[in-house]
Amino acid sequence: MTRSPRALTLAVIGLVGLPLAACAQQNSTSAETGDYPSKPIELVVGYDAGGPTDAGARLVATALEEKLNATITVVNKPGANSQIAYTYMTNAEPDGYTMAATTFPSAIMTVLDESRNASYDRDSFAPVALQVVDPTAVAVAPDSDIKTPEELVNAAKAEPGQLTATTTGVASNEHFALAKLQEETGAEIAPVHFADGASAATTAFLGGNTDLLMANVSDLKPLEESGKIRVVGVMDAERSSFLPDVPTFEEAGYDVEIASSRGFAFPAGTSEEIVDKVSTAIGEVMEDPDFEKQMTQLGLAASYMNAEDYSAYWDETEQLFSDLYPLVQENN
Amino acid sequence: MDTFTALAEGFGAALSPQNLLFALIGCLLGTILGILPGIGSTAGMAILIPLTLAMDPTSAIIMLAAIFYGGAYGGTITSVLLNIPGEGESAITCIDGYQMTLRGRAGVALTTAGVGSFIGGTIATLALVVAAQPLAELGLRIGPPEFFSLVMIGLALLVGLVGRSVLKGLISACLGLLIAMVGIDPVMGLPRFTFGLPHFFDGISYVPVLVGIFGLGEMLATSGAAPRPKAPTLRELLPNRTDVRRSAPAIGRASGIGTVIGLIPGVSSAISSLLAYSTEKKVSRHRDELGQGAIEGVAAPETANNAHSNAAFIPLFTLGIPASPAIAVLMGAFLQNGLTPGPQLFSSEPELVWTIIASLFVGNLLLLLLNVPLVGLWTRILAIPYSVLRAVIFAFIVIGSYAVSNSVIDIYVMVFFGLVGFVFRQVGLPLAPLVLTLILGPFIEGALRESLQISQGSFAIFIDRPLSLVFLLVAVLILAASLFGSGLKRKAGLPTDAEV
Repeated sequence: MTRSPRALTLAVIGLVGLPLAACAQQNSTSAETGDYPSKPIELVVGYDAGGPTDAGARLVATALEEKLNATITVVNKPGANSQIAYTYMTNAEPDGYTMAATTFPSAIMTVLDESRNASYDRDSFAPVALQVVDPTAVAVAPDSDIKTPEELVNAAKAEPGQLTATTTGVASNEHFALAKLQEETGAEIAPVHFADGASAATTAFLGGNTDLLMANVSDLKPLEESGKIRVVGVMDAERSSFLPDVPTFEEAGYDVEIASSRGFAFPAGTSEEIVDKVSTAIGEVMEDPDFEKQMTQLGLAASYMNAEDYSAYWDETEQLFSDLYPLVQENN
Repeated sequence: MDTFTALAEGFGAALSPQNLLFALIGCLLGTILGILPGIGSTAGMAILIPLTLAMDPTSAIIMLAAIFYGGAYGGTITSVLLNIPGEGESAITCIDGYQMTLRGRAGVALTTAGVGSFIGGTIATLALVVAAQPLAELGLRIGPPEFFSLVMIGLALLVGLVGRSVLKGLISACLGLLIAMVGIDPVMGLPRFTFGLPHFFDGISYVPVLVGIFGLGEMLATSGAAPRPKAPTLRELLPNRTDVRRSAPAIGRASGIGTVIGLIPGVSSAISSLLAYSTEKKVSRHRDELGQGAIEGVAAPETANNAHSNAAFIPLFTLGIPASPAIAVLMGAFLQNGLTPGPQLFSSEPELVWTIIASLFVGNLLLLLLNVPLVGLWTRILAIPYSVLRAVIFAFIVIGSYAVSNSVIDIYVMVFFGLVGFVFRQVGLPLAPLVLTLILGPFIEGALRESLQISQGSFAIFIDRPLSLVFLLVAVLILAASLFGSGLKRKAGLPTDAEV
């Protein structure tokens, strides 16, 4: 194969030029950190417009626009339990202009489930801040004999696999919660998966189709208020401010802590200055009492963590879910 | 305070100039959002909610609710005029609606759809006023096993849709079911037929499929000799006496179907319109004309989907359960204004609740008053030379497919199914069975597998539950009647159900 001298020269210039160009780019990025953000930020949400994740993200986006003096565009890329949005975000340039709303268990489950072939893993995310932690809770019909977490565990143990509970799908937080409860107490409860989500699960429960309703505390609160359900226990370390009278599983001596949570992340490799700047800004926004009131009205339990704490929480939750994952698969 | 005094006071508030104005804005916005395929009223409402925070809560909710049912009507316009289903719920309207347009009867189709929507919406809202609580209980009694058996009735009605050739009908129906099987298995959690693309994990969204099969498929099939739909004259806009006589029973039946199906949380209004259409195909006096531009084919699905949209408020007000994604967004608006939807709302905020219910009546009327005069304007679209219109339609369906989930893959899906639609037309395969199974498929699978998890694997659950047993028996009867009936017809040398 012969090469013309001209092509060779071009190739050499190219080879020399590449690192130079890269340097130039690097310089410009670090120079830009000071006046970040200088162009619109894209916030990718992996669910449809109007859902709770979207509502929370839009609330933060609006407040953050003012705080950072920037334009933030919320882009919905719904589907595949956010895997599409995470794939998109983790492949984006780590320049601080593409951010995603990250939720648990989706950000962890899509990685754990090998059949999903996720192109990202834990290390592809640079966590920014945690916004919402919504613990999982168990409810029964108001006339049920089950009144406390202990009675629930005893009832399930008396007839293993006979009590049925709703979940919002395979490997959802409710499904992990059942696995954790079984691991911790030996109580075996049969899951009924409602892949269409919480409202289909609630309807089926209210119609008497399942024994237990499992859902996030925020979803259960209005139903408890109207007397249609009785919440037996909350799977958290402390009682929920939404349901202060309901005991936790911890109080009964069962170490079961499962929640769905929502936060924000940049692609890995985003400069620390940018992550800190946005993380701090979200923290300041969330301290505003008006903002907190808006979140509470939407049923979002505000729970801020900065970038460092959110990273640690992410690692911890990933460990918990990957330990439970074999049980979740076995449950099917 | 009794219901009717409360409602009368509600009307007083809903008819205030400010609330009327917001209802009008909402209807207009909803219609426009409904026209664009892919951009539904749900997304429109979600994006507008922050703007409504500055408004009076009653007006805000009235406007958002008006967007919601305005969207149901907007989808009709493109289905009828351009053969593009703006939303899944208008897909089946394309079949007869577009045939009417080709015959210069676009105006009649749109006017009938408008009137049908108004009647369906009003009947469903009346049901909300008169019997919200018992109806909500009825909705709750339809659990997964009952719903499965109910959908079996829908599948049995399919026999009426397969057309002259049972084989061709079944090919179309099976293809629809196959497309519906794409996605993550709801119980095992494993991806099926996804080509490893996360985009297909939730299944293939049906809007690009339908837009391709109807819109692009039709364009390709007629590329040799373009159809010349003629814009109707002013006199041709209004239905004549025969039209009224024929659509009245269809509208009546469809109002009932839409109201009942709308009570079941989580069921899409596309199912109501499909069941209403299939019912007409079975019971209408002119069932042989369905598929060739019969007025019943427009009146029934359009009435049913609007009745469904309005009936979906019943579970929201009585149980606090959002019955559809659009209602869930509306519930978000309630919450953001500090109101928790549910039965306690009637005692804590009676004025607000009754004003909103009254505004549903007012909004439905506004939608009628707004859209019937505009029918003349919409049909002017047909006066655009088809060579120009074709390019516009193509751009329109590409953008619409992209907008479903901001993804280019949906454009490829649309183009692929455009080719499928072209082949269907070339070999004479009917489209209706595919639409039916494509939309019902995921619901059948979900309900079947949820039921089996509830019964711990026993199929007896479908006959142990009385309501489920009744539905199953009805399905068997329909099936038996169709098979027996068509056998008799064939013996007598008469044509069986006409091709769709």
